[in-house]
Amino acid sequence: MTARIAFRNVFRNRRRSAITLLVIVFGAVGLILFGGYKQQTFRGLRESTIRSRLGHLQIYKRGFASNEAKKPLEYGLDDVAALRRAVESDKRVKMTAAQITLMGLVSNGDKSETFIATAVEPLKEKQMNGYRLVGGTDLPANEPDAVLVGRGLATSMHVKAGDYLTLMTTTTAGSLNATDVRVAGIFMSGIKEFDDRAVKMPIAGAQQLLQTKKVERLIVMLNDTDDTAAVRADLARTQPQIEMKSWSELASFYHQVVMLYNGIFGFLGLIVSAIVVFSVANTILMSIFERTREIGTLMAMGTTRARIARMFLAEGVVIGVLGAIAGVVGGALLASLINRGHVMLPPPPGYTVGYPLRMLLTPSILLTAAFISIVTATISSIVPALKASRMNVVDALGHI
Amino acid sequence: MLVSLTNVSKSYRLGRVGVRALDAVDLDVARGDFLALAGPSGSGKTTLLNLIGCIDKPSGGRIVLDGVDVTAVPLHRLAATRRDTLGYIFQTFNLIPVLTAYENVEYPLLLQNVGRRERDARVRRWLDQVGIAAQAQQRPDQLSGGQRQRVAIARAMVAEPKLILADEPTANLDSDTAAHILDLLAKLNAETGTTFVFATHDPAVMSRAQRLVRLHDGRISENAHALVA
Repeated sequence: MTARIAFRNVFRNRRRSAITLLVIVFGAVGLILFGGYKQQTFRGLRESTIRSRLGHLQIYKRGFASNEAKKPLEYGLDDVAALRRAVESDKRVKMTAAQITLMGLVSNGDKSETFIATAVEPLKEKQMNGYRLVGGTDLPANEPDAVLVGRGLATSMHVKAGDYLTLMTTTTAGSLNATDVRVAGIFMSGIKEFDDRAVKMPIAGAQQLLQTKKVERLIVMLNDTDDTAAVRADLARTQPQIEMKSWSELASFYHQVVMLYNGIFGFLGLIVSAIVVFSVANTILMSIFERTREIGTLMAMGTTRARIARMFLAEGVVIGVLGAIAGVVGGALLASLINRGHVMLPPPPGYTVGYPLRMLLTPSILLTAAFISIVTATISSIVPALKASRMNVVDALGHI
Repeated sequence: MLVSLTNVSKSYRLGRVGVRALDAVDLDVARGDFLALAGPSGSGKTTLLNLIGCIDKPSGGRIVLDGVDVTAVPLHRLAATRRDTLGYIFQTFNLIPVLTAYENVEYPLLLQNVGRRERDARVRRWLDQVGIAAQAQQRPDQLSGGQRQRVAIARAMVAEPKLILADEPTANLDSDTAAHILDLLAKLNAETGTTFVFATHDPAVMSRAQRLVRLHDGRISENAHALVA
């Protein structure tokens, strides 16, 4: 009977209840849209960070992280072919790619700039597809002295595809070495500071320049990101000569974005909750004021204080549940409409390309929005419910 | 005695002015009484009814209801006493607007945790008894004043209380309807032995009462049994 009375009382003043429900619905829709956007951003950023740059795992020679190398590749991997065979024998592994990072000076004959080169296996790099070619061609498979130059660096060096540059760096023995390279193409990663210094070159060319057979790291790409921890544990057991870092340990930007968005989401949730609390509390307080004599009657008939309180709490729950249902349905519909609309957002700070506005709707987002709506509406009815239950019966019966 | 009031007084403040609503009232209500509390406005009728009904506390004196000294117990602990011993009939009917006539009558039985089958039988019996069975599924706003008061009477009677308290039960009804309601209450008193105490201005109610207690300025000025019941 308590629930029946609560349910019917919600519809007693339809206009007021409709406004309260709308507040809850807007709040839930806001949470769902932002939550979906956040989830999509996290997943997109995570996968693009992994697939285009970091890999799921990076394998180094043991001691790489804990020792400061005195010379380039002092802690490089010696027999990468054997290691690669062992790693790729695991069916969860999609591929491995050897890489070296080196720094030095790049010159066009007239001026010099510092560069940061990533030496890659051209065919593997193509699969990772972590950059956009804006001129020329990709790195050829069998041309050790071909390079790709970041767009900012190409502009600074006044080079285009087909031009030549000189790269100079320190070899693994500690001496200086230089080589002439052909600019095969110009690329952009989307991050301006990186593109102003970036060079991509074949690993064979880098090994010639550094005068070594070693590689710095072996990037491991998995079929499924969720397998990262398990594969790492297996490799740690079977390959004691290596040490590893997972994508999560390397993706500091990803974690900064997650923290920022979670902070914004939490703040948004607080604002939504505050609005819902005041709205629902106001509705129930007005309802109590209008029903004072009714409350007096119920108490005169022997209804306990606890039952009166439960009755008004139940009204909060009913409002919350109805608002949550409408909010979840409305939020899911609006999110799918936005996803179909292919809306493009402007580039974020530090980026040069925009990205599509998409929302990833997971059950947890919908459940969270529903949970917040119901809990907030229930909490908001506690004070009014206690107020109603502590009424003086005689005063309540005399209320006009 | 079902109700026994000894030296009961009630004072309260109205703004800065102290009001003595009841002053040293002694009153016994026997089981089966059909008693009218009469008097002008402000004479203390409703205050006396509220004190007997355990929804207000006296400033002094002692009230024993069905053998229990209710003055010694806090009001919120008297909910069970109100639920099991008392029934209320109000001048403005005070039905729960969102419940149907059936559900309004059912409510006291839900408070008593009466089982569904017995509840249904009792609700139907009482709706029939007060002549409102055909309107069982209608809500209060779909009923006339007389019909609403009949539902209120069924609601007060359904839990089979020992004492029914009625505050101006006919004040909002036309004279014909009021007469029918009084007939009904007198019949229920005679058939069930339930005790009725009314607060009233209405000479028709006073003339139907077996016992008339007149109040004036918070004191009992007359306490008489009618010659004809």
